Amino acid sequence: MQFQKEVEILAPREKVWNFIWDVDRFIACVPGCKDAKTIEAGKKYSATMVEKVGPFKVEFPTNIDVLEREELTHIKAQASGADNKIGSRMKVDLDVNLREQDGKTMLGFVATVDILGKLAALGHGIIKRKADQVLDEFAQAVKKRLEGDA
Amino acid sequence: MAKAMTRHDAQLLPLTFTLNGRVQELDVEPHELLLDVVRDRLGLTGAKRSCDVQVCGACTLLVDGRPVSACTTLAFEIRGCSVLTIEGLAEKNGKLHPLQEAFIEHGGFQCGFCTPGMILAAKALLDENAAPSEAELKHFMHGNICRCTGYKKIIESIMAAAKKMRGNA
Amino acid sequence: MLRRFRLEEPESVADASELLGRFGESAKVYAGGTELLLAMKEGLVQYERLINVKRVKGLSEIVAADGMIRFGALCTHHELEKSSLLQQKLPSLHKLEQNVANVRVRQSGTLGGNLCFAEPHADPGTLLMALGAKLVAEKSSGKREIAAEDFFVDAYETSLQADELLTEIRVPAPTDHSRSAYLKFGYLERPSVGVAVAFNMNGGGLSEVKIAVGCAGPAPRRVPEAEMLLNGKSREEAERNLAQAGAVAGRESQAITDLHGSQDYKEHIVGVLLKRAFQSAVS
Repeated sequence: MQFQKEVEILAPREKVWNFIWDVDRFIACVPGCKDAKTIEAGKKYSATMVEKVGPFKVEFPTNIDVLEREELTHIKAQASGADNKIGSRMKVDLDVNLREQDGKTMLGFVATVDILGKLAALGHGIIKRKADQVLDEFAQAVKKRLEGDA
Repeated sequence: MAKAMTRHDAQLLPLTFTLNGRVQELDVEPHELLLDVVRDRLGLTGAKRSCDVQVCGACTLLVDGRPVSACTTLAFEIRGCSVLTIEGLAEKNGKLHPLQEAFIEHGGFQCGFCTPGMILAAKALLDENAAPSEAELKHFMHGNICRCTGYKKIIESIMAAAKKMRGNA
Repeated sequence: MLRRFRLEEPESVADASELLGRFGESAKVYAGGTELLLAMKEGLVQYERLINVKRVKGLSEIVAADGMIRFGALCTHHELEKSSLLQQKLPSLHKLEQNVANVRVRQSGTLGGNLCFAEPHADPGTLLMALGAKLVAEKSSGKREIAAEDFFVDAYETSLQADELLTEIRVPAPTDHSRSAYLKFGYLERPSVGVAVAFNMNGGGLSEVKIAVGCAGPAPRRVPEAEMLLNGKSREEAERNLAQAGAVAGRESQAITDLHGSQDYKEHIVGVLLKRAFQSAVS
């Protein structure tokens, strides 16, 4: 599943870039994400993703690896996790792009999400919607945080 | 049949029910499935675990004459009920039920895996409607799946049994 | 094998509600179990307690009273299928119930359970919405009525509160002018698209048109923009608008691409079913 989002943030590019690496504040913007930890600054992180669809709850302890980093412009990261209770695995390939436009910062994400295991077979359409929702909320939360702190 | 190992604090539900005409008493835990109790604790393996999601009918049992998917029925639900498995369909002296005879005579089975469920479902149909049309038969039997026969012989078998049971063989 | 759980067997709605309030998410209402047990067997959900509500009396009646047809939430699909009252008064709902899943699911599964589990690929919710049904939710402190269109929040999510039970489904008694039909399409075990239409037909003119689409999206939905194309029109005019109404209804249905088909495909099927359901209803 592929998702693409772009959000316009009324804040300078450097501020947005720094915010991304402020792990605790950044992770706080991801709905359902908690317990963010820095394992190796700039390289390895971990967090727990908790999502709920009706009575179905998934909890993915997630490892995040930063694969590429281009100052103020681009990040490539990979997140993976498994919920052994339900028997499902998740993998996200994330491309984050920043560009300046008329004094504003355009923050764009391209996320390729793979869900394997039981969850995938049972609710592909539902998962897609949920993932879309999560990314939307995330983008809006980031925007709000950055603009609010002006 | 060995009694299932239970934890010392397990909730035990005493069941009294009739199985193929005989009164049975059994203690079950709430989470036990009817299919497992019938197959593993009562040793009646005619009912099969096949799809395990109640769409195929291979685990069909009759509880108070009603067809149920034993794979998706909690065992305690049969308390006070009369349960019929395929093993209880023939008479005590071994005389087969007209449905069983018809399935043999008309070739209504090949591998036989779906057959116990098929026959019990057919019995429930004929108990409800002694002279079903083919459309009514197909509608009722829609939830019993066969991978071998292509259904034609099954339909013929059931119709033949129905005719016999109505007394005009 | 299922994970162990404790069985609670309350004998009143108040007791059941109290148990739900006390145990919260670790307990679940259990009636026919035709959806719940599947999810439990898959390991997708687990509960410490199941609250068997089948001992609560008075929740399986089918009654025509007070200008309504009232169904107890514990009515099984089979009981509805066999109800001559239903067959006479609401033939569209009768036919729907006759075709839910298979004969074994119909024997155990309840209408209330079906609605509360809110599986997107299900039938009754869609038609009940088009029929203007009201659902009665009860807890220890009282009852409230929820309109069917406000009941389905999302896939597997209803607007019932944590300690509420669905006890009754109420459909306004149809008149001589009432028309309704439900058609579904699917080749998998569960329906892929379901469309319900209901309206009054008075001397060739249509009023109170309600259209609901189910299974295509995460929850059944009324499709008001499509309804507008048929409401208040003469039968002929409505028939001319059917293709457009179908296209609009398809888009309004929030169809999701999944194993049942692509969004485009489902939207197309919505249009086809709307046309056929309408024709079935007027004849």
